[in-house]
Amino acid sequence: MRAALRDPQLLLALGLFLALVVAAVAGPWVWPKDPLAIDILASLEPPSPAHPMGTDDVGRDVLARFLRGARISVAVGVAVTLVGGLIGTVLGLVAGFVGGWVDVVISRVMDAVLAFPPLVLAMAVTIGLGAGLVTASVGIALTAVPWYARLVRGEVLRLKSEQFVEAAESLGVPRLRVLFKHVAPHTRTTVLIQSAAVFGYSILSLAALGFVGLGAQIPTPEWGVMITEGLPYALTGQWWIGVFPGFGVLMGVTAANLLADRARDLLDPYGELPAVG
Amino acid sequence: MTRVLVTRLLGALAAMLGASIVSFVLLRALPSDPARLIAGPLANEETVTEVAARLGLDRPLLEQYVIYVRDFVRGEWGHSYSAGAPVSTLFGQRLGASVELALAAFLIAASAAVGLGALATFRRGLADGLVRVVANAAMGTPPFWFGLLALLLFFELLGWAPGPGGRLGSSPAPPAATGLYTVDALLAGQWATFVDAARHLALPAIALAIAPFGYLVRLLRANVLDAARAPHVTVAVSKGITRWRAHTRHVLPNASLPTLTASGMVLAQLLGGSVLIEKVFNWPGLGSLVVSAILRQDYAVVQAFVLFSAAVYTSVSLLVDLAYGALDPRQRAA
Repeated sequence: MRAALRDPQLLLALGLFLALVVAAVAGPWVWPKDPLAIDILASLEPPSPAHPMGTDDVGRDVLARFLRGARISVAVGVAVTLVGGLIGTVLGLVAGFVGGWVDVVISRVMDAVLAFPPLVLAMAVTIGLGAGLVTASVGIALTAVPWYARLVRGEVLRLKSEQFVEAAESLGVPRLRVLFKHVAPHTRTTVLIQSAAVFGYSILSLAALGFVGLGAQIPTPEWGVMITEGLPYALTGQWWIGVFPGFGVLMGVTAANLLADRARDLLDPYGELPAVG
Repeated sequence: MTRVLVTRLLGALAAMLGASIVSFVLLRALPSDPARLIAGPLANEETVTEVAARLGLDRPLLEQYVIYVRDFVRGEWGHSYSAGAPVSTLFGQRLGASVELALAAFLIAASAAVGLGALATFRRGLADGLVRVVANAAMGTPPFWFGLLALLLFFELLGWAPGPGGRLGSSPAPPAATGLYTVDALLAGQWATFVDAARHLALPAIALAIAPFGYLVRLLRANVLDAARAPHVTVAVSKGITRWRAHTRHVLPNASLPTLTASGMVLAQLLGGSVLIEKVFNWPGLGSLVVSAILRQDYAVVQAFVLFSAAVYTSVSLLVDLAYGALDPRQRAA
């Protein structure tokens, strides 16, 4: 713990993370303006005490939208990490532990999903399900599944030949119990580190899908959508509409990546870099 | 060597086959009905059934899949109703712009990463920590947002770069040879056209290079630290060569090889990222084609792009794998 406090990279990551969570949880209370309230007379105002991040083209308060965007990003990040992590971990556990044709089938399917650039696959899934916040999250979670499955499968294969697992099996412990009591707990570190990276990946991908019109829809205050709205105004000098939400994405993703990076060094010196695009 | 070659080829084929099944399932199993989309929301049931029959949607699934793969291999990628042209023709017109952008971005990312990675690992401590933070921030920067910042600074504020309006200003397009305007202009000796094309290329290429740059720096750093631990480096240093010489002669070459294998990963970022960057800069490549197709619900284009990018991704990974095997003798025995 004391070592962690003297680690500047870890402190920076935790600080950014805390700021993001505080903005997401407490933001809309501290700054109770309506992120959707239109005020045409106050449109395109530069940052001022009344509107610390200015107003957009129809006079909505950018700070209120920024804070609501933090809530959306954190919610989607948590959801994707939980759903993708759970499915991927279970698939990896089963593939590694059962082996045989089950392993072959699961591994081949994961390879097929990995054959696509992640963002492109998430786009395809979102289109098939109909553009929106929830469908975009499903698409992002799907692309994250094979990363977990691969890592966990590798861990299970290594653990299966450990003596304590062999001992449990030779004592007649039921196989399911061996899997969940003796093998699964040891994959926790790997899964946690991967989850930090996936959290960042999902914030970035959600913004990207929103930017091309596949994620949250206008006028939802999602960061990627807000950057799209700000794009034409960047050419005429109203920079605040698109620049602030980008800082939000940068903050969230960098915090997650730094955390994953540092945690890997501290907890798992032999871990490989995750395949996060 | 032959065995490795065959295994890798079979692996790539299996991945492509899997990818084609995945994109076929996405195409057919998901709730949106392609016949309804093409016929339009006002068409009656009869018209929809007719369109479905014309698209072959009434045949057995397995037959549909075989036709789907056959058409893709033949280059018959469907018809874009919004552009009124075959998808393959549209792709052909726009491929050059995307390839030029991706190559430029890759060159920028790789050279910046090698420079910074070499520095960071030679001078540990502050420089190293700083480079790590920069690399992480680069990976966390939404590329389309970086494009917006670059436009704000270099176009709106400083006026150094041209606005987001395609590949050329007033110059005519150079005679087509490679489809890359900068290269074509040089080949034709048109210096003014080259400068024009390079000026238009600069900002989008840098914006696209940001994420792969961060990824490559991190990877190179990890590989350098790994290579520096090798016994032959310790021997070389204890024999009295300078640390810099050990770094450049014995560590960097060994560290750059595993970094090469990451190029497949980098390409994935370029393929996905170019969709976003091309929208920001109105770059007339595949990415902006896909984005406008999304907005017009012209899904033949998007579906072709999805499978196309899987094909490109898999083949580049294969090529990199084989190059790695050829360069590293230890891989041949494996």
